[in-house]
Amino acid sequence: MLASRRLAGRRALTFAALAAAVPAAMVLGLFVGGSALAPRDVLAALLHPNAGGDAGAIVWALRLPRVAIAACVGAALAVSGALLQGLLRNPLVDPFLTGVSAGAGAAIALAVVAGVAAGFVPAIGFAAGLGTALLVAFLARRGGGVDPERLILAGISLSALFSAIVALVLVRLGREGGDAVLAWLAGSLASRGWHELLATAPYALAGTVLAALAAPSLNALRLGAGIAKAVGVDIARTQWLVLGAAALLTAAAVALAGIVGFVGLIVPHVARRLVGTDARASLVAAALLGAAFVPLADALARSIAPPTEIPLGVLLAFVGVPTFLYLYLRPAGATRLWGM
Amino acid sequence: MGHVALRGLRLSAGARTLLEGVTFDALPGELIAIVGPNGAGKTTLLRAIAGFVAPARGDVLLDGVAVEALGTRARARAVTLIGSDAAAPAGTAVREVVATGRFAYRPWWDWSTTQDDALAVESALERVGLAAFAERDFDTLSSGERQRAWLALALAQNARLVLLDEPTSHLDPRYAQEMLRLMRGIARDGTTAFVVLHDLNEAAAIADRVAVLGDGALLAFAPPAHALAPEVLQRAFGVAFERDTVAGVTRVFPLASA
Repeated sequence: MLASRRLAGRRALTFAALAAAVPAAMVLGLFVGGSALAPRDVLAALLHPNAGGDAGAIVWALRLPRVAIAACVGAALAVSGALLQGLLRNPLVDPFLTGVSAGAGAAIALAVVAGVAAGFVPAIGFAAGLGTALLVAFLARRGGGVDPERLILAGISLSALFSAIVALVLVRLGREGGDAVLAWLAGSLASRGWHELLATAPYALAGTVLAALAAPSLNALRLGAGIAKAVGVDIARTQWLVLGAAALLTAAAVALAGIVGFVGLIVPHVARRLVGTDARASLVAAALLGAAFVPLADALARSIAPPTEIPLGVLLAFVGVPTFLYLYLRPAGATRLWGM
Repeated sequence: MGHVALRGLRLSAGARTLLEGVTFDALPGELIAIVGPNGAGKTTLLRAIAGFVAPARGDVLLDGVAVEALGTRARARAVTLIGSDAAAPAGTAVREVVATGRFAYRPWWDWSTTQDDALAVESALERVGLAAFAERDFDTLSSGERQRAWLALALAQNARLVLLDEPTSHLDPRYAQEMLRLMRGIARDGTTAFVVLHDLNEAAAIADRVAVLGDGALLAFAPPAHALAPEVLQRAFGVAFERDTVAGVTRVFPLASA
């Protein structure tokens, strides 16, 4: 019992640190940006929201929504990855496996070709991403639920098809129009505002509720479908809840930031390493970690070579992948890829 | 409580019939061993009794109620099945594994853990002798300790019928004996237990009755001395057997074919 209390204490400390990291990363993000604002001006604008002026406009209309969106995108992708890795009991799964990103990418590419107004593009991406996830789940269904192997196969196949459509569009568009599509594919938080955040919030919220409902079942499922069934888990219901949650969260993230890779694959691993394999704990930890990680990465993307921004997805790959390889592919870590 | 009645059960795998006409009664607190050749349908029979697969024909009744008719969680409070494919991801503590047995005692969406849950988990760990291992990573346990942890999960679940699929495979004699002793213990406490065993002499040593499957049917359902008769075993396994009795316990040996 003593050991268990010590473990519980350490876990509480970890959660406290993660919870503190989220606002810290967001505040840091407020001080970084294309227009050079002195930290003093940023602080003044924050403390006096109604003072107006350039600094006020930049902080309240540009930077604040941007860091808020970054945090939401990070949390959504991390939770979505943790959900799918848990459901499929496969550490190599990422949220885009269900075809969300490829479907959204293809729809956005086609929308740009068709000359759809830029304001509608996120909504089109969201709808197409969600639609693709549903189609993949539909193709993978077996009995009352979903077959994990078929889900992965259907996701990969449809993703390949949609990637081909994107490639075709890019070739046809040439340099000019292609840039708009590429900006989406590389993932970016540039020129997103409160409006976009509010528009996607209901879907992200619905996804979060579904994820919370599924967590106890997912927790039992980590011991295999056989044990989960034996202790009373409704496997089919769990699968649909998790797929629904992951599709909503991922589609919302794609609509907000385009295709931000890496977060959904890696953050769940780090979360499990920090708090263990309990689905409830690791989902919350993944959400916090993602919400701290992406604003931080976005701040870096904006400050490496101002005024140019490095696409967020590109930066995450450059910084995150070597870190991940170091953490997990060391000889000692290799056998512990799934779990801690 | 814990009366199991199988009535004219037919089990199929796809179009193929695995077992036909299985009928028997197991009494509360009885320990039933299921033996038979590979592919005879031992695991499928366990899964049917657990309500995981619907029989093609016939009924599985637990205390007079069809297992199929029970809701998922109500069923889990009555019967549990520990399969031979159970596994925990690295980084999962033994206590977490055992606590999973408590899933059916709260609403499925509920994140909380009650005092009852904690007590059931501690007492289950105690009973299988793993109390000192509660915080250990499940991954670091030996095969024998893992089997005891799975048994603890079943105990924490507090079901009146426990089904175990080959709990002694891959165990050395000492650990196998320990598992058999624990299974005897849970039956003595009034839980009905079905256990699939590969070793016929283990079945003879611990079971109240033995179900011998083979040839697509239930060939015998009787106390070990009768169920493990050479003619039954020859029909089930296709090799000749010799039987003797040592200190009141039946022992059987396959005869080397010439």
